[in-house]
Parts: sequence; structure tokens; C-alpha cells
Amino acid sequence: MSDDKKRLSRRKFMVGGGAALTTAFVPMGAHTAAAASQGTFAGGSLQVWSCGGLAEAFMPANAKFEQAMGGSISYTGAFAGALGKSLLGGSARTEVFAPRVLKLAQALKGQGKMLSFQPLCFTEYVLVTPKGNPAGIASIKDLKKDGVKTLCSPDSSPPGGAAAMGVLKKSGVVKEATANSIYLGSCVQHDVADVAAGKADAAVVERRITRLPRYREAFEVIPIPEEYFPAPPIPFTIGMMKWAENRDMAMAFIDFICGEEGQACFREAGFIPALSDEGRRLAEKYGVKDV
Amino acid sequence: MSSTTAIRGARYWIRRLIQAVALFTIAEFSYYGIFRCPFAVPYVSCANCPVVQCPGKQLWLIVLLGILASGLLFGRAFCGYACPAGMLNELFSKVAVLRGKVRGKFAAVAGYGKYVAAAICAVLFFGMHNPRWAVPIRTGEFVNSTVLTFEHAFPLWLIRTSIVVGTLLLGLLIPYFFCRFLCPTGGVLEILGRFSPFKYRVADSCTDCGKCDRTCGLETRPERDNCTNCGECRSVCPVDAIHLGTAAKGRGPQSTA
Ligand code: SF4
Ligand code: SF4
Ligand code: SF4
Repeated sequence: MSDDKKRLSRRKFMVGGGAALTTAFVPMGAHTAAAASQGTFAGGSLQVWSCGGLAEAFMPANAKFEQAMGGSISYTGAFAGALGKSLLGGSARTEVFAPRVLKLAQALKGQGKMLSFQPLCFTEYVLVTPKGNPAGIASIKDLKKDGVKTLCSPDSSPPGGAAAMGVLKKSGVVKEATANSIYLGSCVQHDVADVAAGKADAAVVERRITRLPRYREAFEVIPIPEEYFPAPPIPFTIGMMKWAENRDMAMAFIDFICGEEGQACFREAGFIPALSDEGRRLAEKYGVKDV
Repeated sequence: MSSTTAIRGARYWIRRLIQAVALFTIAEFSYYGIFRCPFAVPYVSCANCPVVQCPGKQLWLIVLLGILASGLLFGRAFCGYACPAGMLNELFSKVAVLRGKVRGKFAAVAGYGKYVAAAICAVLFFGMHNPRWAVPIRTGEFVNSTVLTFEHAFPLWLIRTSIVVGTLLLGLLIPYFFCRFLCPTGGVLEILGRFSPFKYRVADSCTDCGKCDRTCGLETRPERDNCTNCGECRSVCPVDAIHLGTAAKGRGPQSTA
């Protein structure tokens, strides 16, 4: 009896397990199929990679593009340095790429892998404190004060952690801020929860962090003067890659992202859109031109 | 069909149904935890995790509370009914080469591995703020993102993930290798299971024939280490000594192996 039962279980379990496994992963493709069915680029698809910091802006922008123009955007957001390395030296390919750091766009263009690029948006750094600012921080210089508990995440994805450390350095407070850090973290987005919870008095983060749903109401936000920002991580660009199969769709996508509707998503996510007076000033300042 | 057979059939299908629902709801979360979660200890930092698309962002609290509650009430029932990795192990166990060969002292000593793994996870999480060991692929195509994670992860993440994948695959050789010897969740649930009221128990009428542990995929018996309360053994007991309940009906000739 037991052996029969075992054979029965085995067969049933394998069949049942396979079916359930298939259904478990089905929802992931469903959205793409639905989006692809109508609009100018119906049935088309475009592979877009960007710096991971832009994910909260790209996701709604991509959805709006799909809705307006049809087709599907196959989007990946990850540390631009890593994606860039795969694109520059490895076998990776994508059709549209939006990197952080101007030099990366220029290097890809130099290799002929990026056909053209344009300014997309700019980031800025701010100080965050717990609600009510219990330590009474007024400026980044206050991180030098005795007893102020900071939170530094130097091992966070570069340039996130490294850039925040750069801000501290340029502000002349890096020694004290590092010494007074409640711990040295490895992920800004994860570690900053300890500022929201009041375990630390202040941290330097990109403004975009304060726009994440979880942190939207979690902090007091204090601006940091632009003179303390390290230049490389500030500008983001977007460009068409040589692997773009449907160039019309790639160009329409870039135009959409750099147009009013797309740029609104970037503003909402905490960036300064290139399509703004401030954006144009920063493009000039950092020399973001495809020459 | 006798009523006993009908009850057995119902028990069988209820478990398969719960497994199917669990697979549908948390298999993707499990996949992310193993293959894309950038943290040393997956599944626990979901609320502030940078991986935007991980279903864990919605599920983590309910899943963790659910596992805890099930552990307090039913011991390792999560393993037997809902864990996708457990289901994979169950599938593998049907064809495992060394079925019934890894038992006794070795299995007993190796069984401590899951407690060591749980302790390491606790130190990493509470003592070291759950460091990030991979470049988070924040969002992206399912397979490509996994490939990118492997390409850009730090060595520690690769080691952690290789150990998990390797020991899951070892289940093809030694049944339930990961669950019996290495899974930290299994370790924590095993401890909770010691105090959980609802479980399969063995009555005095047990003749120690050993049919139950020969049937059990985890090569154990009710009330012993690694029992997941799945109930598979109940149907093979010739003297009907295995029952589900809150109280022991006296003890058979049990020794802890
Ligand atoms: S021991 Fe771990 S992997 Fe195995 S079923 Fe339990 S929770 Fe899942
Ligand atoms: S519980 Fe039943 S099957 Fe297991 S050893 Fe005792 S008599 Fe045999
Ligand atoms: S001893 Fe019985 S109830 Fe426990 S895991 Fe094995 S088959 Fe399932």
C-alpha cells in the first residue's frame, strides 16, 4: 500500500508542482503583453537600461509611454557603473541607456556603442534628520558638533555612498561625521531607516531618497549648498545605443522621457529635470553636451 | 472507497492545495530572496530594500508573521506546507540517490548546521545591520536581472548564493539536505516546534517498526528533529499509532536520533 501511494504522490506532485510553478511566474509577463497590443509602436519592444537611482522616475514614465505609444519597455535599473562596465567591456547590450556620470556616456560614445546622448536630469544632496530635528541641525557644518550622531554609508553603491562621503569631505566635516557615525553602513536606502527611527541625528542622502514612498514623510530635509557637491554624480544623460533595432521607437522614447510628461516623473522622484531653467543652468555648468 | 481511504485522500489533497497556493503567492518572493536580494540575510530587510520589483516589499511582514505564528502553533508546518524551497526538496527527494543512507550519528551532528546558520543570520542581521553583499539590480527583466546580479555581486554574495543553490541541489543526492542540515528558517522553526502544541504525535501502541521514517522524505518520525507535520507517515503506520493532536497519547519506544 505504501509503495503504491508513494508512486502516486510522486507523479501527482511533479505534475501539480510544475503547473503551480508555471502559474506562479505567469503574472510577470502579463503586463507586457497587454501594453504591447495598441498604439504607434504596438507589438514593438524596447530595452532600456538606466542608473538604478532613476528607477522610481523611469517606471511611471515607461508606463506612460507604453500607454501613449504602445509597445513595451523592457526596463532594467542598476548601478550605472556596473551596467556601464558590462556595456563597455563585456557582452551586454541595450537599446537605450541612461547613465549617471557624464564620462560614462562620453566613453560609450567614444567606442561607438552610444550613438548620441542628451541631458536627462540632475541630482542634488540634502541633509535628513528625524522628524522634529531633535538635534537642532541647521546646516551640514553642524555635523561637526559634539554629540551629533551621524549615519554614513560609505560602502553603499558607488557613487551613492562615495558621493555622500564626497559631500562631507567638501563641507569639511568628513572626519567628525565618520567618527560619530552610529555605524558605517552599506546601503543608503536601508540604513537611512535608522535616521527616520531617530537612532541617528543626520545623514547626507540624495533628495530622491526623501521621495521614496516609505520615506516621504519621514524626515526633515535641510538643503546643502551646491558648492559642496562632487561633480561626477550630479548629471544624468540618456542616449540611443547602436543596438537599437527600432530606432524610431528608441528616439520617440527618448523624446518622451525628455519631454514635459516624462520629465514630470523625474521631478516627482526628486531630480532636477533637464527641461527646466535650473536644468539648463546645470547642463551648462557641468558641460553636458554631446559633442 | 472506505472512509479511512477518503480521509487520507482528503489530507493528501489539502496539503497539495495549500502547497499550490503557497507556490503561487510566495515562489517569486523566494526566488528574489535567493537570486536577487542584495543583503547578506534575505527576506528581512524588504521594507527598505532597493530592489523595487521584489514582491517581498508587499509580502515580507505578513509572510514573516505568518511563519512565526505557524511555528508557534504547528512547529515546522511551514516547511511541510508552504515553503517553495521545501517543495523543491520534496520533488528532489523522490529521486534522491542516497535515500535512507544518511542517518544516525552523522545526520544528528549535521542537523546542528541549521542552528549554526540561524545564529550566523542573527549576528549578521542584529549585530552587523545586515550588510549588503550585491549590487542591487533595482528593477529589471526577470532572467537578465539575475544574470546581472551574478555578474556584479561581491564575492561574499556569490559564496552565500552558491552555498544555498549547491545545498539545494544536494537534495538530489541526500533527501532534503538543505532543510535538514542548513536552512536557518528550519532551525528557528525547529526550536519553536519543541514548544508548539499542535503536531503529529506517536502513541504507546507504536511497535517501532520504522515504516514511518522509511516513508518520510525527511527520514524522521513525528516528534523528532525535522518533522514538518506533513502527515505523510500517518497512512503507513500498521497500528495507527500516529495522530494529530495537542496531547501525547503516551510514548512508544522513542529515542532521539
Ligand atoms: S527547512 Fe527551510 S527551505 Fe526547508 S522547507 Fe523549511 S523553511 Fe523551507
Ligand atoms: S509510528 Fe507506526 S509506523 Fe512508525 S514506528 Fe511506530 S508503529 Fe511503525
Ligand atoms: S515524520 Fe511524518 S509528519 Fe513528520 S515530516 Fe516525516 S512524514 Fe511528515
